[in-house]
Amino acid sequence: KWKGEGTTQNLESIVIGRCYDYIRIVNPSVGEKNCSQIWEAFKNAFINKDPCSILPEDYELFINLTFHTIPPNKSLFWENNQLLVNSFADRGRRYMSLGDTLFGFVGDFLNWCGQADSPGLDYESCPTTTECENNAVESFWRMLSIIYAKHSSGVIHVLLNGSAAGGAYPQPGFFADYEIPNLQKDKISQIVIWVVDDIEGPDIDSCGAHSVKTLETRLTALGYDVTCTDNDK
Amino acid sequence: MPLQQGSARVRQRTVLLLGIVVLLAALVLAVVLASLLTHGRHEDGPKMLKWKDRGTTKNLQEVVLGRCYNYITAQHPELGDKDCLKIWESLKDAFIYKNPCNITPEDYQPLMELASHPIPCNKSLFWSKTGDLVHRYTKSNQNFLTLEDTLLGYMADRISWCGDPSAPGINYESCPKRNECESNPSSVFWKMASKMFAEAACGVVQVMLNGSVEAGAFRSSSIFGSVEIFNLNPDKVSEVHIWLMQDIGGPQSESCSGHSIQRLISILEERNFKIICEDNYRPVQLLQCVHNPDHTDCRLCTNST
Repeated sequence: KWKGEGTTQNLESIVIGRCYDYIRIVNPSVGEKNCSQIWEAFKNAFINKDPCSILPEDYELFINLTFHTIPPNKSLFWENNQLLVNSFADRGRRYMSLGDTLFGFVGDFLNWCGQADSPGLDYESCPTTTECENNAVESFWRMLSIIYAKHSSGVIHVLLNGSAAGGAYPQPGFFADYEIPNLQKDKISQIVIWVVDDIEGPDIDSCGAHSVKTLETRLTALGYDVTCTDNDK
Repeated sequence: MPLQQGSARVRQRTVLLLGIVVLLAALVLAVVLASLLTHGRHEDGPKMLKWKDRGTTKNLQEVVLGRCYNYITAQHPELGDKDCLKIWESLKDAFIYKNPCNITPEDYQPLMELASHPIPCNKSLFWSKTGDLVHRYTKSNQNFLTLEDTLLGYMADRISWCGDPSAPGINYESCPKRNECESNPSSVFWKMASKMFAEAACGVVQVMLNGSVEAGAFRSSSIFGSVEIFNLNPDKVSEVHIWLMQDIGGPQSESCSGHSIQRLISILEERNFKIICEDNYRPVQLLQCVHNPDHTDCRLCTNST
């Protein structure tokens, strides 16, 4: 029916398990959370609805229940380099990327959607963003990107892939469309961009060139203090 | 006449008041005694044994189940036939209601059988005293697998568990440390899982050791030194590659020519393995350099194309 993969099997156990994993082991400093309630809020954002009618705001209760502050100077934005970001961020100890927050941690790498007039999850197929933008997963990450950007402060870091076909700074993209517009200028002291090529990969983009230049210009025009470094060692 | 009647009434009232006060006092005393007695009973309460290490992780079941499903569903779909509920039950049965100093390998046998899976050749990565670094490496390079990247290790990493003969059978307050008793649930688990991980290895295996540790990079008392190297199968494993990593800007306590490494090499050669040792294996060092970019050891090669 839809072109995308269906809902991840055992989604409920995975989400609840990750929630407890986070509050008990990964980052107990966020305090006590009700993981069953969190699952319900997550699910209610998209079940029993047309899977092409899910909006970021539908996840508001989920965000309220999972929210915790992001320490200043620890925000790490990224595009096209998730594995590198994971090892760079060191599981939230050095930096806290969106995937290292409780709200991002529970949804990372998973897929989900519901169907109209039925409380069940659709395990067969889910709409891709090309088929319809307002799908459950896309809206989830849009909402989280907005929240993450809004609550970032101090020195913020952006890790871009200089070997990515099409440029290190993708447009459209989450960073371009949902994160930059929601950064709080009065809370941010500096934006540090790192452009890192894949090891033995092509050097397609770099500071001061092509898409990275577009990004630097945009941020400077917005009034931010911007620095850029190539091939962070 | 009225005065006499008045004073009689006053006396009556006084007696009544005194009676009420005495009754109240008795009531208060009774309540205090009752609460003291029940409080005392609570203190004797669940007679769980007390240990020195942290207790069982809260919500253990949810965490273990979630990790199991996460591993087989989201990360390794080729293991789709694993039954996570059965796996959780077999872990629980291994320790629940048991004295946590009496755990045996047999207790874990059902769990080991249900959760073990084959490891592709040339991918096994052992480690000792390099926990942080080795797992950052396997997170960014999925060509290698540590024990904690297998289903068993992934489920058990960083959590703790132990039982107790009295209800509810799980001790959330404390668990035995290794020096309190060796046959505790955690030590027995990791010893067994490490043995199986070594037995399953084939082809070229790798080990990441720490050259900045004062006590030596290779220790016979470590799990690597006491369990893993002796369970590598010479019929399956051809070579052992040692990556000797020193902290960037840290002490250079040992290198490939060091004493403990020579001892490790002789033990392995005696078992007919070919050994290659490399100081500061570059791909891993690059990962260390991400956090120390200005150090001289982290300068990029000047004569690379």
